[in-house]
Amino acid sequence: MSFLGRGGQSSSGVNPEKMEMAVEQLDMITDVFNRIVSSCHAKCISPRYAEGDLNKGESVCIDRCVAKFFEVNKKVGERLQSQGPGAAAGGIGGGSAFGSL
Amino acid sequence: MDFSQFNSAEQAHISKVIEKKQMQDFMRMYSNLVDRCFNACCNDFTSKALGSKEEQCVLNCTDKFLKHSERVGARFAEQNADMMNAQGQ
Repeated sequence: MSFLGRGGQSSSGVNPEKMEMAVEQLDMITDVFNRIVSSCHAKCISPRYAEGDLNKGESVCIDRCVAKFFEVNKKVGERLQSQGPGAAAGGIGGGSAFGSL
Repeated sequence: MDFSQFNSAEQAHISKVIEKKQMQDFMRMYSNLVDRCFNACCNDFTSKALGSKEEQCVLNCTDKFLKHSERVGARFAEQNADMMNAQGQ
């Protein structure tokens, strides 16, 4: 009798919860990356497209844009944490579409 | 993503998932890029053929976006690595 395939316990099976968490993390990172590409393109690259290469100004702008984005990400995270879980939950509950349910 | 936490069956599964997501991401990027370059470069509809200026603009737009995406990727990886190191300490 084989109990492999029930998941979770054996060392050669696939743990579905672990997989789901890994996929969620991957999705989150991909989402952040795509948003950075989009935002920094809008902020740093002029739509004239005179040439196909990045000029020096655009390159520097992109470097700074990515660094700032991460800083903002960190600051917002810290602020949400410091406001306390009660205030954060109140913000989510009252300040979104789900607050009126 | 740290692959050492997964056994070989999980690694195979995750690799397949990553491959599928990369394909979807590429298709999404392609259609966004067409939209972006069309909106930026094609504003003269006196002719149905692409003018030479418009064509050059579209080529520049595509090249520039790809180089931009590559540079963001490099900086992103550096920042991500720094963040992971800071969290690990």
